[in-house]
Amino acid sequence: MAEKLLEVRKLTAGFVTEKGLVRATDQISISVDKGQTVCLVGESGSGKSVTSLAIMRLIDYAGGMILEGNINFHGQDLATKKQEEMRHIRGNQIAMIFQDPMTSLNPVFTIGEQIAESLQLHQNKSGKEAMKIAIELLKLVGIPAPEIRAKQYPHELSGGMCQRVVIAIALACNPELLIADEPTTALDVTVQAQILDLLRKLQAELGMSILLITHDMGVAAEMADRIAVMYAGAIVEEGTVEEIFNHPSHPYTNGLMLSIPGFEGGRGGELYTIRGTIPPIGQLPAGCRFHPRCPQAMEVCRQQEPPNFMVSDDHRTACWLFKDHPAEADDRDEVRRA
Amino acid sequence: MSADKSQLHTSHATEPLGLSNTIPMPSLDPQTPITDSKRPPGPWQILWKKFSHNPYAMIGLVVLLFFVVVGLLAPFITKYDPAAIDLMFANLQPGAGGHLLGTDELGRDILSRLLFSTRISLLIGFSVALSSVAIGTVIGAVSGYFGGWADTISMRIVDVMNSVPTLFLNILVLAIFGSQIKYMILILALTSWMSIARLVRGTFLQLREMQYVEAARAIGVSSWGIIFRHLLRNASFPIIVNATLMVGGAILSESALSYLGLGIQAPATSWGLMLSNAQEFMLVDPKQALYPGLCILLVVLAVNFIGDGIRDALDPRQQATKSRRRLDQWRKNYSKSEN
Amino acid sequence: MTEYLIRRVLQSVLVIFLITVLTFLLIHAAPGGPTQVMLSPGLSPEIFKQQAKNLGLDQPIPVQYVRWIGDMVQGDLGYTFKNHLAVSGLLWPRIGNTFILMGAAWLVSLLIAIPWGIYNSTKVYGLSDQTASFISYLGFALPTFWFGILLQQWFSLKLNWFPLSDMYSRGHEGDIGDLFMHLVLPVTVLSLGFLASYMKYARASMLEVLDQDYIRTARAKGVKERKVVFHHALRNALIPIITILGLDLPILVAGAALTENVFNWPGMGRWFVEMASAREYSVLMAVTIVTAVMVVIGNLLADILYAVVDPRVKLGKQGGGTA
Repeated sequence: MAEKLLEVRKLTAGFVTEKGLVRATDQISISVDKGQTVCLVGESGSGKSVTSLAIMRLIDYAGGMILEGNINFHGQDLATKKQEEMRHIRGNQIAMIFQDPMTSLNPVFTIGEQIAESLQLHQNKSGKEAMKIAIELLKLVGIPAPEIRAKQYPHELSGGMCQRVVIAIALACNPELLIADEPTTALDVTVQAQILDLLRKLQAELGMSILLITHDMGVAAEMADRIAVMYAGAIVEEGTVEEIFNHPSHPYTNGLMLSIPGFEGGRGGELYTIRGTIPPIGQLPAGCRFHPRCPQAMEVCRQQEPPNFMVSDDHRTACWLFKDHPAEADDRDEVRRA
Repeated sequence: MSADKSQLHTSHATEPLGLSNTIPMPSLDPQTPITDSKRPPGPWQILWKKFSHNPYAMIGLVVLLFFVVVGLLAPFITKYDPAAIDLMFANLQPGAGGHLLGTDELGRDILSRLLFSTRISLLIGFSVALSSVAIGTVIGAVSGYFGGWADTISMRIVDVMNSVPTLFLNILVLAIFGSQIKYMILILALTSWMSIARLVRGTFLQLREMQYVEAARAIGVSSWGIIFRHLLRNASFPIIVNATLMVGGAILSESALSYLGLGIQAPATSWGLMLSNAQEFMLVDPKQALYPGLCILLVVLAVNFIGDGIRDALDPRQQATKSRRRLDQWRKNYSKSEN
Repeated sequence: MTEYLIRRVLQSVLVIFLITVLTFLLIHAAPGGPTQVMLSPGLSPEIFKQQAKNLGLDQPIPVQYVRWIGDMVQGDLGYTFKNHLAVSGLLWPRIGNTFILMGAAWLVSLLIAIPWGIYNSTKVYGLSDQTASFISYLGFALPTFWFGILLQQWFSLKLNWFPLSDMYSRGHEGDIGDLFMHLVLPVTVLSLGFLASYMKYARASMLEVLDQDYIRTARAKGVKERKVVFHHALRNALIPIITILGLDLPILVAGAALTENVFNWPGMGRWFVEMASAREYSVLMAVTIVTAVMVVIGNLLADILYAVVDPRVKLGKQGGGTA
């Protein structure tokens, strides 16, 4: 088995609001092996971005915090690290790219300066050296005339170009893990494919792991080794891409599959939609969080939250439909008590 | 979304020109179920609820109401005519001869002058704010709705008005036309409507493209009908905030002009005029400068607190930042990580 | 850039033109017109007519306007009615005096307000922030002239630390130390007002910027929090602050009328009030227009500065600032 790079265990992160403490993620467990791409899939508001911010510990700056759980990275727990220590990991060993490339770049600094900054920070490069590498990086991410582009400001570049720059910034220090939060959502469809191609190519070249966050099952199918499906702050199903697509187990995953345009399960011409909407954080129903929208809801679903059941060795799902399967090791005690 | 829109429409159609659904936020939020049978609280109720939880705003409201009542009841509170000169009783100490705050150098009762000044200040404060809102709304609406030349001309006028030093223009007009209250209100309003006009224009530009306006236009509602039915509602709360803060500004301007001798003239009385007298007799009776200044400060503070209170109640972002302090406490108590 | 500049300059010229028209019409809207006020009462009708003719007041209003504006452009701001002194000769020294007072107050308040506002944006609702907020409220609500009077009563009459009024003590004209002592109280008064607004702007502008995506990007890069605030955020937050400072530049000549009156400072503001009471219309017109021109130039400078500091303002494109 491949070496584990990142292992998130029972991570709960939350925010303080008018009404008190709100949990945005609920005991998330997810792991990423070396060189692997893991996709975190879910609707907006399901807590995907919070998860990524929590791993980076950027959630502290967004008015939130980690309440429980561990984030193991190279044998260290990121959840309890001081910000000053995290600073040396961020941008160096773990890098992140964000959804909207147009707003993710600082408008008053040139492209080159923004790429070079990481190098100066983490690799003690001089300004000149850093700028040289920055131009190399621009070439690497497929930006033509990099010497000219490096001197330009973000507003002079298109959205797709900006996202390439954001990727160049992320790759500057050769990170082991790249967290990409909806990297293609804000882009045109044709540009989306280019950016995904670029990410795949760079991963093959540089051997990094990717945690890709997306709402798009199609993107996940294309990119992922493993897929984790998130719903209302929790991971409801997780497994290899083959397992998830060949044997989707959780009714929510089923719904997501059926709503992919052109997917074989889709009913002729008309797109499937999951009825209802995702509950806002802090207003979860009792029992299974998906039961109000679930076409297969049973009595037990209204009463009790399902533990993770192992559909196969490489595939877990939090759904009572699979209660005959063995529970995940972590959840066995809970099940016995129930 | 279509359900939201239809709800917006029926509510606009059934209610006359009331402001009660100025912020259609709750029904625009796709996550809030709109089929709820019990009627959600209107924006005014939500506003009041938030406003009344803000201690500063409530203190401001109480202080302002106090001054309003005192101003209205002035003749019943004091038996002295604020303009009655009685040199026999000049410069009395507080309490002497039944004069609660004493008398000034001409023997006028200070308390009674303060009370009657309240009327002038509040009258000017509120009429200036109202007139500014009227002028600014009309110009901003025309400018934002019609765009093109109407917009260019209005915005140049705004530029011109913003470029003339306000105090100088006020002084100039009062010097030319004479120091009368009506001119003072007029010129103060004419020099303070610009922010409202810009605000209204901005809101209109933003909302002009929104679908319910298009829809209204499609069913043949006239341009002005659209302006005042649909668009003004969305600007009304920010206008109220702006107007409230304007009341304070106008009161300050009135007192300043009166202090300079160009505003209220004796035998009428105003806090600014009293301060002007007090400065002359600063050596004889320093207390005289205290009362009127304190009154101005309190009224303006009260009005500003109210204005800020309304603004905070309207601004969801303001609420979010407000909880930052609480967040720090929570973080200390609950967070796994230390910083 | 040049195209943008030309457009902005033309716009400014238009605004200045409109201001001169407005001022001119205002004076001529005075009951009886300027003739009535400018000429002594009791003159026989013939002499009255003759005088009016000498002053050009019998001409149609547009002709008068063109003449007046022609003189203005050549630097001839007219003459006082009373002693027939050239307005320009009286105006410039007073502008200088106001500039000294306002410049000092502006500098003091900026040096305090900007760093303090930035600091508070990183510690929202801390003790320092609450103090600043209290001072802001005071600054917005305190009548400046009352504050001035209170300072005079306390620090001048009672404690005798600082002089009561004027710019120099008698016999000390030109003495910097003496000037400094005279500056303390009025500068304190003026600074409070500036401080209130600049602190608010700096804080709000920083808070706005600290919420932006690119700040998150900087943190994701591992940039030190200090550098996030003072490099990444500040550079962006300064753009609107600089614009506001540019827009406020004209206050340096126009904003001190009240304080000057309280402290008997021989500047433009006090002079304007004096001349208003004396109905010296040529002075009033000249001062209004000179200050308005400075305001317009200040706005223009602010826009140019904005275009310089913000790379997003594209060459030739309509800039922000005045719409």
